[in-house]
Amino acid sequence: MSVFYDKFNRHAEGAGLKGNSTHYCPGCGHGLAHKYLAEAIEELGIQDSTVLVSPVGCSVFAYYYFDVGNTQAAHGRAPAVALGHKLSNPEATVISYQGDGDLASIGLAETVSAAQLGAPITVIFINNAIYGMTGGQMAPTTLMGQQTATSPDGRSMFNGQPMRMAELIAGLEGPVYVDRVALFDAKNRRLAKKAIKKAVQMQVEGRGYAFVEVLAECPTHLRMEPADAEKWVKENMTPIFPLGVKKDLTVEPWWKRPAPDFEPAHMLKAVGASQEATNRHAEAFPTHINPLDISLKLAGSGGDGAQTAAMLIARAAINEGFDATHIPSYGPESRGGTSYADVHVAKDEVLNPASPHPDILIAFNAPSLAKFGPTVVKGGTIVYDSSIVKEVPAGIDPSVKVVGVPFTEIAVDLGKAVVKNIVALGALQAATQLFPKDTLLAAVRQALKDKCALIPLNEEAFAWGVKAVEALGK
Amino acid sequence: MAQLKERPKPFLLPDYCKGCGRCISACAKGCITFDKEIDAATGYVPVVIDLEACNACGLCMDACPEPYGLRETPADVDFELQDPAKLFGGKKSTAPTPVDIPNQRIPLPKSEPLVIKGNYASAIGALLAGCRHVFGYPITPSTEGAELMAKLLPKLDGTFLQAVSEVATVNHMYGSGGAGYPCMTFTSSPGFSLMLEGVSYMVGAEIPGVFVNVMRGGPGLGNIAPEQSDVKLACRGLGHGNTHAITLMPSTPQEMLDLTMLAFELTFKYRNPVVILGDGYLGQMTGKVTLPDFMIKPGIPTWAVNGDAMHRGNLISSIYLSEQDLEAHNVYLNDKYRRMIEAESRCETFMADDAEILIIAANTPARASKGAVQDLRQKGIKAGLFRPITVWPFPVKQLAKELAHVKQVVVVEASNGQLEDEVRLALSNHGVTQLPAFSHVRHFGGMLPQQTEVLAHIQALLAKEAK
Repeated sequence: MSVFYDKFNRHAEGAGLKGNSTHYCPGCGHGLAHKYLAEAIEELGIQDSTVLVSPVGCSVFAYYYFDVGNTQAAHGRAPAVALGHKLSNPEATVISYQGDGDLASIGLAETVSAAQLGAPITVIFINNAIYGMTGGQMAPTTLMGQQTATSPDGRSMFNGQPMRMAELIAGLEGPVYVDRVALFDAKNRRLAKKAIKKAVQMQVEGRGYAFVEVLAECPTHLRMEPADAEKWVKENMTPIFPLGVKKDLTVEPWWKRPAPDFEPAHMLKAVGASQEATNRHAEAFPTHINPLDISLKLAGSGGDGAQTAAMLIARAAINEGFDATHIPSYGPESRGGTSYADVHVAKDEVLNPASPHPDILIAFNAPSLAKFGPTVVKGGTIVYDSSIVKEVPAGIDPSVKVVGVPFTEIAVDLGKAVVKNIVALGALQAATQLFPKDTLLAAVRQALKDKCALIPLNEEAFAWGVKAVEALGK
Repeated sequence: MAQLKERPKPFLLPDYCKGCGRCISACAKGCITFDKEIDAATGYVPVVIDLEACNACGLCMDACPEPYGLRETPADVDFELQDPAKLFGGKKSTAPTPVDIPNQRIPLPKSEPLVIKGNYASAIGALLAGCRHVFGYPITPSTEGAELMAKLLPKLDGTFLQAVSEVATVNHMYGSGGAGYPCMTFTSSPGFSLMLEGVSYMVGAEIPGVFVNVMRGGPGLGNIAPEQSDVKLACRGLGHGNTHAITLMPSTPQEMLDLTMLAFELTFKYRNPVVILGDGYLGQMTGKVTLPDFMIKPGIPTWAVNGDAMHRGNLISSIYLSEQDLEAHNVYLNDKYRRMIEAESRCETFMADDAEILIIAANTPARASKGAVQDLRQKGIKAGLFRPITVWPFPVKQLAKELAHVKQVVVVEASNGQLEDEVRLALSNHGVTQLPAFSHVRHFGGMLPQQTEVLAHIQALLAKEAK
C-alpha cells in the first residue's frame, strides 16, 4: 500500500521494531481506522492532493504513517486548521482525524462551526469513550457509570451525560454526510471502511462536509483484552451511540474557487486609488490660522455628520499637498451618543494628531459647545449650529470668534437634514478662509463620485453655509 | 469455490505482530491461535496461523490494526528469509523533492495618495504584499480592517473568513500559513490574548502569519480606547515555551501600510509569525497614504504542506517528544531569534543627535512626543526623540549610541511601563548599566499622553534641575 510509509520514522529513522509497527497499543482501534483511511486515499487516487490534519491525543503521530501532506494541530483545533488548508488550496483533500477529547470537548466550538460552515472537508472522529493519551480519564463520550481515572466511582449525573456527536453534527445544516460506524466485528469493519471512503469521496467531488464517527476500542484504558473490548463496545456503547447513517444528502458538486487575482489594475480599482491628479486651488498654507499645523475639533452627536465633515477637511488638505489627520471618537452606541473628531492640517507633517486645544471648533449641539468651547485657543474660531444651540455658554475666551449658523434649518429647507455638515463646511470656509471654496467642494465631489446625483444638493448646502456667514458680516 | 482459492492467504511476520488477537475473533474457521512463547524481538506473544485450514477469506487481514501486521502472502516470498528488512525494507516515500516557487514583484502604476484610516492602510498593505487569505473575529477598534478585507477579497478572488473565535482564527492561519500562503488577521488586545496558544504553535512549527493587533485599554474587557497594553505580551509572552516574533510599532497610517508589507516579507524570510502593534488611535486615524510602486504575487515555499504532489512529503508540526530533539529545536529557534536581533532592529530618531533629553516613545505617543520635541527645540532645549519601530528586537545598539550624550530619558507611553521595561531590559542585556536619569509620562486608561503633557513634564524636570 503506497499511502502508508514503508518505514515509520518515529524513532531512529525507522530502524528496528518501531519502524515496522504503529505506536498504538495492541488491539487499539486507531490502526484499523488508519488502514481504512489509507485505503480510501489510495482507491480514490488522491495521495498527492491529500493533507491529513492530526490532532492532540493518541493519533497525534498519524503523520508517521501516512505518506501524504501532514499537519499536526493544537488540541481541538484540527477542523480550524483543516479549513485554513482547504480555503488556501481548494483543490486539496483535507482530512481532520480526531479523538473524543479533541473533537467533542476542547474543540467543540471549532468542530461545530466547521461543520456548519459546510466547506468540503472530511472529519474522522474516533470515539472510544475515554481519554487515551493522558491515561484513561473521563471523555465527553464516557458512558454513565463508566469508571475512569477522573470518574473513579463511575460517571454520574454530576458529570453530565455522554455526548452524541454524530447526532449533533447531523442536526446541523452544513454537513452532507454523517455516519456512525464501529470496528468490533467483520461486518461493521466493512461498513466502517465504506463510510470512510464515502466521506472522503464527498469532499473529492466537492459536495460538502462529511463526518464519520468510529466507535473504537481502547483495550488499555478499558483494562480489557482486545476481544473483551470489542464485546464491550458492541454491548455498552452501541445502545448509547446507535450505529448507522445519520444524514446523507444528495448534493450537486458546488465547491469551486478561482485562483487569487494579482492583476495590478484590479488592485488599484479595488482600493479606490485614482491615477488622475487632483487640481490644487490653494496658493499657500493658511498661515493666518497657524504657521505650521492647524488643529480642529468637530463635535456633535452621532448622525450629525461630524466624522464625514472631518474626513472631507482631511481629504481637501491632502489634495492640496499638505499633510492631514483625522481621529474619530465616539461612545459605545452604534447610533446617537457623542461623536467627536480631531483633525489636523499641517504644512509638512502632522506631529501630534490629537486636538485638545483646537484652533477651530465646529459644534453641532449645545453640550459639544459647552464642553469644547473653552478649549479653543486664544484668537481661534468657533462655528456652531444656531438652530440647535440657543445660547452660547460662558467660559469661551473673549478673543475667540464665535459664529452661529443655522446648519439644521438650512439643511431642512434644502429638503435633506443630513447635509447640515456640508452647510457647516461652507460656514467654516467663510468664517476662517481655511481653504478656497473649490478645495472643499472638490473633496465633496470626490467623496460623492459614486453618488453623482447628490452633488448639486451638497454644493447648494455648502453655498448656503458660506452665505449665512457672509450675511453675519463676520 | 475456484475463485476463493485464487485469493492470497494471510502472511504474518511475528516481528510485526503485537498479539492483540483481533484476528483470532475475526477468523470464522478458527485457524488462528496465540503462539506458546513470547517473541524475543517484540516482547509480545504473536499469533500463529494454520494456513492449511485457511480459506483465504481475508477477514483476519481486515481485522488487524497494524498496517503491516497481516498482509497478503507475496507471490514469490522466500520463507527462509523472514527478516523484515530483507523482505520489505528500503523503500522510502516516493514524494518528490520540492523546489522553491519564488515571489513575483509586479510593478504598480503611480496613483494619487489615498486618504484612509490606519486599519484600511494595513489591509491594503496586506493585499499588496500578496495576502489573499484573511481570517478574523470582529473586535473594536480593529474591525475596519476585517470589514475592508471582507469587501475587497471577493473582488480579488481571495478568501475572508469570519472565524467563530480568535482561537479558530489563529488556527485557520496555522493551516493557511502552513500551506505556504500569506495570511493575516486583525485583532485587538482581548482577542490577541486568545490567539496566543496558536501563536506559540506557529512559532514552534515555523509558520508565517501576520497579526495586526490594534491595542486597546485593559485588563479584562477594559475599554475600546487606545492603550499600548500588549507590548509585554508581544515581546515576552507569545504563549508557552521559547517564543519570539518580530514586533513592529507603526506611528502613522502610511506606516500601517508600509510595515504591514514589511511584516509579510519578514514572516516568510524567517518562517515565524510577525506582530504589528498599533494603538486604537492609529487604527482609527485617517491620514495620507501613498501606495508603493510594486505589489507581490506570492510563490510557494519548499516547506509548505500545500496539498499537491510536489509538497507531499512535508510535515507541519511543533511536537518533539524526545527531550534532546526539543532542545535542539529550541537551540535552532534561538539562533533564528539571534539573526532577527542582528538584522531586523529598526528605529527612527528625531533631533536626537545632540539631545540631552531623549524621549522614547512608539505609535501615536511618538507623534505627540515629536510635537513636544519641536516645542522644546523652539525654546532652546536640546530634546530629541528615539522611536523604536521594532520593539522586539529592541533597537538597543542604536539607543546605546544615542545615550552617550543624554542626561535625561523620558519614556512616554500609554501603558503601565511596559515599554520602559523593554528599554531597561534591552539596555541591561546589552551591558549598559550606567543609565542616565529615567522618568516617564504614562496613561493607562485608554488615553494617550498628549504633547502638552510631555512638554510640561520636561519643563518641570528642568525647573527642578535648575534649583
